[in-house]
Amino acid sequence: MTATLAALEHWSGGLWPYLVVILFGFLPSEIWRWASVFLVRGLSEDAEILVWVRAVATALLAGVVAKLLLVPSGALAVVPVFWRWGALGAGILAFFAFRKSMLAGVIIGEIVLVSAALLATG
Amino acid sequence: MADDSSPPLKTARQAALAGAKAAAGLPSFMLMASLIGVGGLCRDVGYPMGAAVASTLLVWAGPAQMVLFGSIAAGVALPLIAVAICVSSIRFVPMCMSILPLMREPAVPARDGQPARKGTPTWLLLILAHFVAVTAWVEGMRRLPGMPKPERIPYFLAFASTVMLAAAFSTGAGYYLIAKLPPALAAGLLFTSPIYFTVALAAGVRQSVDWLALVLGFGAAPLVALVVPAGFDLMVGGIGMGTLAYAIHRLQRARRDGGAGA
Repeated sequence: MTATLAALEHWSGGLWPYLVVILFGFLPSEIWRWASVFLVRGLSEDAEILVWVRAVATALLAGVVAKLLLVPSGALAVVPVFWRWGALGAGILAFFAFRKSMLAGVIIGEIVLVSAALLATG
Repeated sequence: MADDSSPPLKTARQAALAGAKAAAGLPSFMLMASLIGVGGLCRDVGYPMGAAVASTLLVWAGPAQMVLFGSIAAGVALPLIAVAICVSSIRFVPMCMSILPLMREPAVPARDGQPARKGTPTWLLLILAHFVAVTAWVEGMRRLPGMPKPERIPYFLAFASTVMLAAAFSTGAGYYLIAKLPPALAAGLLFTSPIYFTVALAAGVRQSVDWLALVLGFGAAPLVALVVPAGFDLMVGGIGMGTLAYAIHRLQRARRDGGAGA
């Protein structure tokens, strides 16, 4: 495997980074999107199973958000945990306070987080 | 057009224009903010700017792109990176499966003097599926159900390609910019995804089952992360909590219907 990859890298020359993106980034993620096209064959938009599928997708994305805050990467890690969750909570409150305005939610959340980051980094 | 009661259908071009317009604001801004960092990661591994832009156009999933370049930087073997990306991308299955039926038109056989109509072709569904990522999914799930069916595909394609182009531009710009950002601003950029996804999910709630899934998925994540091996925790939490939310929803419905019948 390693030898094959090394040969491929040599052979592709300057195009190697693009080949990496296609072979090891694009293909492993795209197969799931393509598989779904065949999985939904014959399902109508109000099929009962789709209520469950949507619940799974929603719970999954909620988990993604929680994980982004629990295990923050890079610069987000300098913001203390209390303020990461506090900024999210402030954003949610603002979203509802401004009659479900996504813009208000994002802006207020960002203001709280960047202020906390400024205080934390001095 | 015999039916005068509903507003006239938009042409495909008008629907596409509406989609591009909806994308031009907050959705594009948030994707630009979250993908700017991918450009910097790509430069760190010594790849050209084009590879960063290509990753946005082809992989079209910020976290997977960060895993790709971040792991290359850490010296992880490429096949292992592909496995990690493959596992984390399983989340596209419930996302694509829930949004594609909203857009697909079924084939209709000829009947009552009406000519037969072909359904949405598979190649078009594959293209639509490629554009599915968190942003296009949350926005699509929120906006498409209220639209007449023929408008949905042009709207979604225009929406998704607009945010994708904005994100690709930002990935390329980030390749040159990211090292110069002050840390507080960099933290703010990384925070755009979680805050935007949260309010977008909340804005997209249609039924009580969506609320349940949102709250349960969010609340259970720390616990699931403790017991399930990394890489599989999101999938396990998503299926577990989504199923729990659906089960509660079914119970509530059964009790309500039972109560009405008594």
